[in-house]
Amino acid sequence: MKKHWGKIKRILELAISLARANFKLRNEGSYLGILWYLLNPLLLFLVIIFIRVAVFSHSKIELYPLYLLLGIIMNNLLVSTLASSIKSITENSSFLTSMKIEHESFVLSNVFQFVFSHLFEVGVFALFMVFYKVSLMGIIYYLIILLFFVLFLIGASFLFATIGTYVNDFFNIWTFARQILFFLTPIFYAIKPGDFIYSLNLFNPFFYFLHISRQVVLYQRLPEGWMLLIMVGVSLFFLFFGFFVFEKFKNKFADLL
Amino acid sequence: MRGVQEKEKLKKIRIEVCGIGKRFVRRFKKERKNFLEYLINPILNREKSMEFDAVKDVSFSVSEGEVLGLIGRNGSGKSTLLKLIAGIYTPTTGYIKTDGSVVYITGFGWGLKTKLTMKENIYLIGTIMGLNREEIDKKLEEIIDFSGLRAYLYTPVFQFSSGMISRLNFSIGIHCLEHKKPDILLFDEAFSAGGDIDFQEKSIKKMEEFIKEGATVVLVSHRLDLIEKYCNRVMLIENGKIIKTGSPSKIIEYYKNFTKKRDRNLKD
Repeated sequence: MKKHWGKIKRILELAISLARANFKLRNEGSYLGILWYLLNPLLLFLVIIFIRVAVFSHSKIELYPLYLLLGIIMNNLLVSTLASSIKSITENSSFLTSMKIEHESFVLSNVFQFVFSHLFEVGVFALFMVFYKVSLMGIIYYLIILLFFVLFLIGASFLFATIGTYVNDFFNIWTFARQILFFLTPIFYAIKPGDFIYSLNLFNPFFYFLHISRQVVLYQRLPEGWMLLIMVGVSLFFLFFGFFVFEKFKNKFADLL
Repeated sequence: MRGVQEKEKLKKIRIEVCGIGKRFVRRFKKERKNFLEYLINPILNREKSMEFDAVKDVSFSVSEGEVLGLIGRNGSGKSTLLKLIAGIYTPTTGYIKTDGSVVYITGFGWGLKTKLTMKENIYLIGTIMGLNREEIDKKLEEIIDFSGLRAYLYTPVFQFSSGMISRLNFSIGIHCLEHKKPDILLFDEAFSAGGDIDFQEKSIKKMEEFIKEGATVVLVSHRLDLIEKYCNRVMLIENGKIIKTGSPSKIIEYYKNFTKKRDRNLKD
């Protein structure tokens, strides 16, 4: 038990150091540096708000700007983390083929750095909440949901890293799939039970995190119990399944790099 | 009594390699002549692949405090064998038992992050090698002095020459090793990659210190003078197989003749 704990501690320490270095690397030589994390989602937010005001001015969604912004930043966390996790093993081939090292750290560090930048976005979101006079208590509830979302992301990242090491084209497949996901998930529109797209979204793990976050953060409503259960189930299932697949295949990674 | 105990200690096996083999899949890219072929080929004409054995049915053992040399031409399987012992690769057949902590050190491609400064890289690689921040703080001065690159501490590594990168790599690696005090050291061409003669000599002295402290060492090098000077036993590897084992002078002599003979055969 003590041995396992020591190993987990080492993996986490290494993951945090790597995340710190990679975070620095991403901003190195960039004039706007950290502002890029905020700029991308904010620009997308402005474009959609503009289209909505110009084309569909009869908005039915309560607190639409907050509804949209939360959707964008959560989607941003999901797609960026997974896109980067696909390459998290192949991009560190020089380390993995020259020393015995815990492969898990590279995947985890990847998740950590995106979660860290997501927290900046949450900060901006909180400013919007103040502007729209929504209680900031929602942010505390959001952090609990974020914890489960991160568990889901860790599991999915393990899975994506494994597939990405074996299948070169997986990054391109994900680039395409993330666009479909953006339009099929209710990020900039609303859905209700009975709609075809609602039934479709019941198979989309991300939908549960998004729906529950909006209920809790924006409208201070208790989410449906079954949805909460599925959210927790999905997080734990992905975490264990992703980890299991990664552990099964990680010994062969060095051969492929 | 004490002498007997010391002998017993010497006999302790640190590395045991039994019937080990490693098979890789080698892929061949097809040459595509025009755009149409680029479109059609991935579907109709997939890349060909072939399995090959980088290491075949290798068995040996290394005792505590022993320095084993591995020689052979490029592609003979020396590095693969070291990486198998280090646990970087998993063997296809056979098994390896190691007793104690193992560290593999190579002079090539350690994956420094070129956009980061030298100091940031020292912390990054140090962490990857298993040291925490405080431990690296303590080693920092020694690493900088050993590398001889103090003036470049805050310079991004992409502005370094290849020799400087090599110096930095080795300095970080060897000092982190020193801190961890590994029982088994695997050196893969660690002393001939890029650094100038002074630095090479300094690096070799560091290795000598490890040997004196009683570490078990496996040394892969094309520098036969090093092999002869430091190894107790040498193995010659060709096409993934051990073809001869013995004392350094005997095996080096055999290797030189073997290479000459092969070159003559190739000419004929």
